[in-house]
Parts: sequence; C-alpha cells; structure tokens
Amino acid sequence: MRTQISLELSGISKVYGSGNTEVRAVDNVDLQIKPGEIVLIMGPSGSGKTTLLSMAGLLLKPTSGVVSVNDVLTSALNQRQLAQLRLRSIGFVFQAYNLIASLSARENVELVMNMAGTNGAKAPQRSLELLSLLGLEQRADHLPADLSGGQKQRVAIARALANDPPLILADEPTGNLDSKTGREVMELLCCGLGRVQGRSIVIVTHDHRLREIADRVLWLEDGQLQAKAELTPA
Amino acid sequence: MGAIVAKLAWRNLLQQRLRFAISVCGVALAVLLILVMSGVFAGSEEHAVLYIRNQPVALWAMQNGVANLHMSSSRLPADTVEQIQAFPGVDQAVGVLYASAGVEISVTVIYSYVFGIDSDIPFGGPWSLVEGSDSPGLNEIVIDRNLTQRYGLRLGDSVSILGFPLRITGLSEGAFGIATNVVFVNKTAMALLMDVSPRAASYVLIQPEVGINIARLAADLNQAIPEANFLTEAEFVASDQEMIRQMGADILQLMNVIAYIIGVLVIGITVYTATLERVREFGVLKAIGASMAQLMSTVFVQSFVIAGVGFFTGVVLAYLVSALVVQISPEILILVEPYQWLSHVPILILVTAVASLLPLQRISNVDPLVVFEA
Ligand SMILES: Nc1ncnc2c1ncn2[C@@H]1O[C@H](COP(=O)(O)OP(=O)(O)O)[C@@H](O)[C@H]1O
Ligand SMILES: [Mg+2]
Repeated sequence: MRTQISLELSGISKVYGSGNTEVRAVDNVDLQIKPGEIVLIMGPSGSGKTTLLSMAGLLLKPTSGVVSVNDVLTSALNQRQLAQLRLRSIGFVFQAYNLIASLSARENVELVMNMAGTNGAKAPQRSLELLSLLGLEQRADHLPADLSGGQKQRVAIARALANDPPLILADEPTGNLDSKTGREVMELLCCGLGRVQGRSIVIVTHDHRLREIADRVLWLEDGQLQAKAELTPA
Repeated sequence: MGAIVAKLAWRNLLQQRLRFAISVCGVALAVLLILVMSGVFAGSEEHAVLYIRNQPVALWAMQNGVANLHMSSSRLPADTVEQIQAFPGVDQAVGVLYASAGVEISVTVIYSYVFGIDSDIPFGGPWSLVEGSDSPGLNEIVIDRNLTQRYGLRLGDSVSILGFPLRITGLSEGAFGIATNVVFVNKTAMALLMDVSPRAASYVLIQPEVGINIARLAADLNQAIPEANFLTEAEFVASDQEMIRQMGADILQLMNVIAYIIGVLVIGITVYTATLERVREFGVLKAIGASMAQLMSTVFVQSFVIAGVGFFTGVVLAYLVSALVVQISPEILILVEPYQWLSHVPILILVTAVASLLPLQRISNVDPLVVFEA
C-alpha cells in the first residue's frame, strides 16, 4: 500500500510587503489534511486560497506558523529535500496546466517519472497507461499546443499522478475550462483515476457542485478560515 | 539524468534552428581561427627548418655560442673547418656560407636564406632540383620554382642580391615558404660579398663514419674544438623551431584568448536566450520537484551540444582550409594535426562551463510560484 501523508498547517500566516502596502494574504490558519480526505477550499478571489495552497505544497514559506508532513517540520528541510518531497509525495494540478510545450503529452508525464528516478521502459509504459485511462491514448504523441484545454488538463492530471503521490493539490483546475469539460476533469481527479485508497486531495475551486464529492469544504475570507462554513456537505 | 530531461534540453536548443545554426557557426569560426593561426605558426616552424631537415647529415657545426640558423650569424674560420674535416670519426664534412638577404626580382625583394655552396659537394646544396644545375657558378643562383613561376622567370633570367646580378641556372623545389625562401649561390662569390675567406664557413654539415655513435662524436668534437658548437640534427631543428615558436607565441596566445572569449559569448548568449524563452517552464519543473542538478543538466546539455558540434565543425573546416590553402598558395603551410586540436578540448570544456554560468544563475533565480499565475 502506498505511503500515506498527513499534512498539518498550524497557525500559519503569510504577509506580503510591509508598512502601508502590507497584505495579510493568509491569517493564522490551522488546517489538517488526513490521509484519504477530499478537501475543497472555496472563497472569493483574493481571499488567500492560492497562497494557502502554495504553503501546503511546500512552495512558499509561511511568515509565521509551521507546516509539518507526517509530523516532520518542513522548516527543518533544505531546498533539495523539499523538492524531493514535492516530487514524490505531491501531485500538482494548476489552472494554467503548465505543461512543457516542447514535450509531447506522453513525455510530459514521463518527465516527472524520470525526475523521480524511474527510467528505462517502465516510464513510457506507465505514462501511456495513465493517458489511456484518461482517454488520451490517441493524443499521447501530440504536443500540448495541439490539445484542447480539457485534454491538456487531463495530461496534467496524468503528470500529477505519475509518481503515485499520496497527496494531490489542485488550484482552480477547471478555471479555464467550460463547465461540462470541467466536470469531466473533476470527476477523473476526484472519483475516477485520482481517487485511490489513502490519497488525499485538496482542491481550490469556485464550483459549488463539487461540494457533493468533498469530505470537507473550507471557506476562506480575507485570509481566514470561516468556521461556520466548515461543514460536511449535505 | 533521465532521457526526457536530455530530450527537453535538446528541444529547447532546436526550438529556434537558425539561432542554433548561428551559434554553432560562431563556435566553429572561433575554433577555425585558433586552429588556422596555430597551424600557420606550426607550418612556419616546419618551413623554417626545411634546409636542416633535408640535408642527409646527422651533425652540424656552427660558431660557438650559436645554436640557430634563424636570426643568427655564424663564422667558422678556414682552419676550424679543416680541423673538423680531419677529425677521427668524421667521414665527410662540408662547409657552407649562410646569410639572410633580399633576393631582388625587378622591384620586389624576397627575404631569403642565402647559402653559398662549393661545386661538387655531396650535400649542403639544393635537395630537390627540377631543372638546370645544382652547382651555381660565380654569378649564378639556384632558386625555387615557385618563385620563378610567381614572377614569370625562367632559367637564364637574372635576379640580384645586394645589387649583384645573378643568372638563374637551377630551379629547386620545396624550398619556399611563407617566411622561408632558400636560395643557393656560389660560395666563392658569397665569400667576397661577406668579406671572408672562401674556405671559411658559417655552418659545417658533418657525416660521421658508418657505425659511429653520433652523440659521442658530438661530445668529442665539442671538447676538441671549443671554438665551434656541434649539434645533432634533432637538436638543431628543435632549437630553431623553439625560436620561431617564441617569436609567434605572444600573438598566438592573444588570438587564442580572443577566440575563447568569442566562444564563451556565443555559447553563453545562445543558451541564455534559450533559457529566457523557457523560464516559466523551469519554474514549473522546480515546483513539481526537479532538483537543481536536473535543471542545471538541461543547461549543460545545451551548452555542450553547441560547443561539441561547433568544435567538430571548426576542426573539419580547419582541415579543409589547410588543404585549400596549400592548393592556392603553396608557400603557406597550415599544419592541422590531432595533437594540436585535441589540446584545445580541455579549454573548450572550461569555456563551455563558464558560458553556462549566466543561464544557470537565471534558472536558480526562477520562482516556482509562477505555476499559479494564469
Ligand atoms: N506575491 C505577492 N505579492 C504581494 N501580494 C500578493 C502576492 N501574492 C498574492 N498577493 C495578495 O495576497 C492576497 C491573496 O492572494 P491569493 O492567494 O492569490 O488569493 P486567491 O487565490 O484566493 O485569489 C491578494 O490580496 C493578493 O493580491
Ligand atoms: Mg488563486
């Protein structure tokens, strides 16, 4: 069974700028993501969702507070160790897809496997397998420029799943997609391929329909979690 | 490093083929510049010792304190020459007079090595005669065929040295280089011009008896005849080439430094612009967990591909240029040899590493948070 991850953010804040221009993007947030949980983060634009996700994804150091992964303080880790942790334990899905333009769909997926040390025949095989499961076997050798938005995001999901991480972090993954395509992508991520035993999924979204599939919904406003909104959806 | 990381580097590089081609050409031209320059000098070194190399003797005598043919003036009095000829172990010894002087062909003056030789000598004269006689009489001269062809001269025409007219009675071959033109005149006439005895010599070419140990004979001669300096052929050649090399070393080094700087700039700018174009993607790779080593390797692959392809192209061009130049101007010898271009490989590696610094610096500054920007 895959290693699970337990992510804990305690009292974290992020302050941008100083003095007059100071912005408290995230303000004293406590958040624990348990293995296997699907958590939605919602809130108005500018409320700090992306900033919070960046800190959860070990991409941004909080101004105060601590982030721990499986009870290890991430502030004690160096850049190289953080990169390793992201590579092997966290799959990212972004609004802007962020595929590598000069690599085919399949190579984009292979790349992260290569980076994690999976080489030889195994990487191309697994990447094709993932793309097939996402309905992209016909598109595997296409460059991102030749794919539709929904297809690009499915490639990005395949990339996020490539190293079989115990945690997926997605920042408005359907933000650039029409609602039907968005729905399909979300389903693959949360219910289909992405949904495996013990994997935690955190999604920043505006899509209220997703409340059905989430274990928890968090409401962020002005950098603070609104306790009243932390409800299990009906 | 995985195959895909290398592939990524390669694609980034080839994204703009024209830029790739230009930078490869830039490196190739820098390499060509280095190889042709050092090839010209190596060729001159070879030409400069044509006379020494082509004489079938193992030992050379010159005035004590002199160790060169170039830029030297050597005098051995007649009795010293006779002493050498009579020395046990010496089979044959031939004295020649030598001076550098201009050979005047109408208004042109060709800087030349002029050798004064006796007639009927076993060696010391032209080693490859193509026409006429190899023993110049009192007002005669043997010159290289390349020179006569160039200036439209033929046997029987006249040239002059220091104003003395000399009739061309022999044409030699292989004695004409970019800074080296070997001509032969009568030794008695030369002695008059130089105001020395016709039996004196500048250099004595010595053929030892069969079976004699040459190093040993040289040592014995050096001890017995202190007013002369005896060198083996190898020593004489080495000392003359060393002199030429020193004359060219500074300019050569300067050219090399310039060429290396061009190399750094060409590789550096190309990889830097290729990196800038993909800077967001480097941020993406960082965010999803690429190590610094993996990111750096994409830069190094690009730099080394340009350097390698450019270097190889430059070496091939250098061989082509050297072959072409010999066809067009036989007096210019451009020596391109593996030991010579291989010696630049370590420096090229250094140059490539230096050129990678700026792109590496750019990559290390990329903020992975670009992934969240639309
Ligand atoms: N790099 C930054 N520098 C300064 N302010 C920033 C930076 N990133 C975000 N902010 C500010 O922090 C607040 C939260 O931004 P963000 O986390 O992107 O919100 P959301 O994702 O909910 O739209 C906003 O007011 C935004 O302007
Ligand atoms: Mg956002």
